[in-house]
Amino acid sequence: MAVSNKKYNVIDLKTGKLDSRIFSDPDIYREELEKVFGRTWLMIGHESLVPKVNDFFHTYMGEDRVILTRDGKGKLHAFLNMCRHRGNAIVRTDVGNTKNFFCPYHGWTYSNDGSLEYVPGEEEAYYGAVDRDSRSLIAARVETYAGIVFANWDSGAPSLEEYLGDARWCLDVAFNRLDAGTEAIGPVKWIEPLNWKTAVDNCSDNYHVPTTHLSAILVQARHFGLPRLTHEAQFESPSKHLFINGHSLTMRMLERPDQARQTHGVTQENRSLFEEYYRSTLAEAERRLGSVRAGKLQLGNHSIFPNGVLGLRLAHPRGPLETEFWHFVVLEKGMPDELKRALRMGSGNYNGVAGLFEQDDMDNWRGVSRSSLTPLAQKYSQDLSMGVGRAGSDPDFPGTVAERYTSENNQRSFYRRWEEFMNAESWEDISIEPGTADFEGTATING
Amino acid sequence: MQDGIPDEVGMTAQTFGDGVSQSELWHELMQFYINEAWLLDDRKFREWLDLFTDDVFYFMPRRLNVGRQDLSREISEEGDLAIFEDDKTYMTMRVDRLDTGMAWSEDPPSRTRHLVGNLVIEPLPEGDLKAKTAFILYRSHHETDENIFAGSREDHLRKEDGRWKIYKRTIVLDANVILAKNLSVFF
Repeated sequence: MAVSNKKYNVIDLKTGKLDSRIFSDPDIYREELEKVFGRTWLMIGHESLVPKVNDFFHTYMGEDRVILTRDGKGKLHAFLNMCRHRGNAIVRTDVGNTKNFFCPYHGWTYSNDGSLEYVPGEEEAYYGAVDRDSRSLIAARVETYAGIVFANWDSGAPSLEEYLGDARWCLDVAFNRLDAGTEAIGPVKWIEPLNWKTAVDNCSDNYHVPTTHLSAILVQARHFGLPRLTHEAQFESPSKHLFINGHSLTMRMLERPDQARQTHGVTQENRSLFEEYYRSTLAEAERRLGSVRAGKLQLGNHSIFPNGVLGLRLAHPRGPLETEFWHFVVLEKGMPDELKRALRMGSGNYNGVAGLFEQDDMDNWRGVSRSSLTPLAQKYSQDLSMGVGRAGSDPDFPGTVAERYTSENNQRSFYRRWEEFMNAESWEDISIEPGTADFEGTATING
Repeated sequence: MQDGIPDEVGMTAQTFGDGVSQSELWHELMQFYINEAWLLDDRKFREWLDLFTDDVFYFMPRRLNVGRQDLSREISEEGDLAIFEDDKTYMTMRVDRLDTGMAWSEDPPSRTRHLVGNLVIEPLPEGDLKAKTAFILYRSHHETDENIFAGSREDHLRKEDGRWKIYKRTIVLDANVILAKNLSVFF
């Protein structure tokens, strides 16, 4: 291996060897809060969580507490939940509606556009010497993608549109299909005893499904008449496994435009209702996304770098071996209630803290995360060698495409992208792939 | 007194349909819940499933952390994302899964203890009953994993073939962020 002067060299793309200390080392963890979570665009919520003026939603960027607000003029903001006086949290609730945030320690009061409006004793105690303008709430940059709200602390970061790049070409298929847009419900929140990266890398792991989730696969075949997913079917699958700018995407082919998408909650019984829905919305989707994306493709498992896990589901880091997971479900606004209910129940009952599928992931992920806790164990690298050298460009898809749907190419690429952020001095050292996809149709990043 | 709690246990004169006294009914329901707790802790999940009607709605909404002025939003409504939103099919899938030999979250199985009490009952039309209980569910898993879940359950019950069955259960946890790796146990 070539000698590298880079600090982090954790994944060998030729052998797939991964240094497992990245999951448990407290110094590495501290550094990634700054160099990954301090620089990337992070999903923090959805516009539908703050529908009215003066609504707020409490969220996180990494470990930092953040308030998503919609000010009196309807503009979205993301602020560090930290009073500029002594650092106390000024919001202690999940949600609410207020024009002002009042610090319960000494009473400093901020407007929901971030400005410091009132300081008790400003004249008497401070002798008029408080420069309120320099003590506004710390604001992150805010941009949205089809209603999903992202925020970023780094003024040197590219726009969200560049950051997502051609990944949006894929994501649009699920999140940007119709004029009415989407709504997010949730989150269900729980604490996972594992490193956040393990939960994200698993989105690229199509290999684990027939083993980890076999019990759920068997009972959904029995009760819902769904085909039994096997390793053989996974190896032969024509689905595409793409990697773009750190984002991992699976694209599945539709047999026909009105095929019910392969989504939790679709059953033999309700399948025809879903097909009717896709038929009735096809023309609109074709106008917005073009005929290929509207009628030939569906989005499968995916992750948005760094911590988005299957859509708007977030792995918030809470120390090297702890993750606070937030499970939202994003639904198309105009979908009939009966179908919304099926998807809500399916998503909640398959994924989420009680999910028939997701509950079986936890002890596996914990085992992976904790694998380097002893000096002996950390001598042995993890093996991500599947499909080494078997990925490249594809005439029909953007990004780097693995030859097979079951491949560890995207996991290797995910850790390489992580390495790139960890070794970078600034965004000037971080690459963005040039866009090649043809964004047919009228849909934009704004919906 | 609060509705449904005997003024002094067994001493109320209020009757619930059929001339059964409230205290008799209270004892009958308490026995029902004690039996249910033993079925769960003894891992007799098929028998436990049989305590629910075929049209059951088994629901655990989210518990939001809100200010006093927003307490109406504390418990998420139906239509919002819930923690459990099961019909009998989903409940049966959860139990069937355990018998496949490949339900890793419960293999090895959790060691649970359900403590159920604070029963309050209230009549519903057509002889149905509303029964509210408080619970503590202790779960031990693998070598050292431990969870304590506390909360309330509100059940709607009706008689089927002479036996009480639950047709709606709403479980409200006293937790915002759930301090557990998963909820692979039953409430």
